[in-house]
Amino acid sequence: MKKKDIIFQSDSGCIRESSFRILKDLEHYGIGEKTAFEIKLCVEEAVRNAIIHGNKSDPKRQVRLGYWVDGGILNIEIEDEGAGFNHESVKDPTKEENLLRNSGRGDYLIKKLMDKAEYNTKGNKLSMVKKIN
Amino acid sequence: MAVRIDPKKDLIVCHIDGEIDINSSPMVKKSFDKLISQKTPKIVINLSKVTYVDSSGLATLVEILKNMRSYGGRMRLACMSPKIKSLFEITKLEKLFEISADEETAISNF
Repeated sequence: MKKKDIIFQSDSGCIRESSFRILKDLEHYGIGEKTAFEIKLCVEEAVRNAIIHGNKSDPKRQVRLGYWVDGGILNIEIEDEGAGFNHESVKDPTKEENLLRNSGRGDYLIKKLMDKAEYNTKGNKLSMVKKIN
Repeated sequence: MAVRIDPKKDLIVCHIDGEIDINSSPMVKKSFDKLISQKTPKIVINLSKVTYVDSSGLATLVEILKNMRSYGGRMRLACMSPKIKSLFEITKLEKLFEISADEETAISNF
């Protein structure tokens, strides 16, 4: 699949739309239910973070979603227009003392469920990779 | 998303139907606010019809648990699909929640 770029305004309605668009384009790859679930979750978590933490929910700011498949590998990029964020500062939500906290789980799930997930130096662009067959 | 409250003899079973995500989480929380304000001592949340949970949904369940613990209430989760259960395992929330395979076991284990 050739690379597609979709631009969303920072609106929570685009969270579900983002995963729907990707999974729709992946239909003919015959991916399993578990993989589809993990892609949906990671894309929605990443877009949500881009809107809320990156763009500070400013509707004038945009989120760019790019995705393509190359050799059975799904590549996804999610970029916001925010000032960037130090993702290393996110506390490990699985530590005993953080289990009752309400933050950090989205980022953690992305890192666990994707084969690769890394931010650019500025911290406003996430690149994710997932083997789909 | 819908929450159905099913009062039993000495506890409440809540059936959640649909996705628990950033959009539906406030509605889920609101559905439990009344039960918590009444200091319901025991709640079983039946998740058999929950198809998707994101980090907002996990945070909402943690919030309900914290609120119940504040007055000594207890809550059990039951009937999770393998996909949802895996999220609890990855995030280690399985250590925080009492989780049962089915509703009957959840009720009898109180």
